[in-house]
Amino acid sequence: MKVDITPIALLNGETGQAENAELWDAITEQQLSDWEGEWLPELFKSIQKLKRAGVERQHWPQSRHWDWRRKTKSLLGMLAHQGFSIVCDGVTQGMMIVDTTTKRCRLKEQKGKNLVYVSYVENAPWNRKELFDGSIRYRSVGSILIRAAIELSKKEEYKGRIGLHSLPQANGFYANVCGMTDLGADPDPDYAPMRYFEMNEEQAEAFIEKGLKP
Amino acid sequence: MSKRTMTLNLTEAEMNALEELCAKKDLSKTGVLRQALRLYQLIEVRVEKGDKLFFEDDATKEKAEVMML
Repeated sequence: MKVDITPIALLNGETGQAENAELWDAITEQQLSDWEGEWLPELFKSIQKLKRAGVERQHWPQSRHWDWRRKTKSLLGMLAHQGFSIVCDGVTQGMMIVDTTTKRCRLKEQKGKNLVYVSYVENAPWNRKELFDGSIRYRSVGSILIRAAIELSKKEEYKGRIGLHSLPQANGFYANVCGMTDLGADPDPDYAPMRYFEMNEEQAEAFIEKGLKP
Repeated sequence: MSKRTMTLNLTEAEMNALEELCAKKDLSKTGVLRQALRLYQLIEVRVEKGDKLFFEDDATKEKAEVMML
């Protein structure tokens, strides 16, 4: 598999320094191996800590049942789907799978138009403050992956339009950080309890502009 | 990602249909054909696995199977 690698920088949450990182336009065996050997053990330890601290199950990470190997196997052979990943310090820090083909816009002003639909996006456990007592190893992983989805949308002539269903714990991120429009709970029971968020061309430009500010 | 170029011969009716889709979707001809290929591949894989393709009327929930030969 040929992988295009774009140099990026991630802010180290512990040192406050920017570190060189890479955005890959693929999910390869290296990412899946990191997920199994690095992410899952940390995730299970975090869940154990939450359980022992008496945190209710509904507040445990809602993506804990995601199987990236299975998802990758079933989706990534298809032209309609593309994977992305971020690598820093030799380890995968985030992964995303998008669908460029089968979904359409729901926002009134762009209803029926093509968009890049973010099927799955996840941050490494140590980058999630809810799992590590507020400390984060690398910041901005989610934002960079959303930016990658916007750039792909532009490349596909979709002008930055993207959409996704959000796990409840991520609603605030998509509404407030990404500036996406919240179209409410999806009436399709298959998506419960997720809300659907969409970004139009102007919101995409605003998000990019915000990211460029020092 | 490197790209390859091809020449495509279409009838006038096919070209008209393609241009209509381009206008409707606000996409270039390449964009529409790329979409079509991705969708075609997706459907072929599912049908080969034994899945069926249906259209459902949103209001009546009536389903009509699309026969893939």
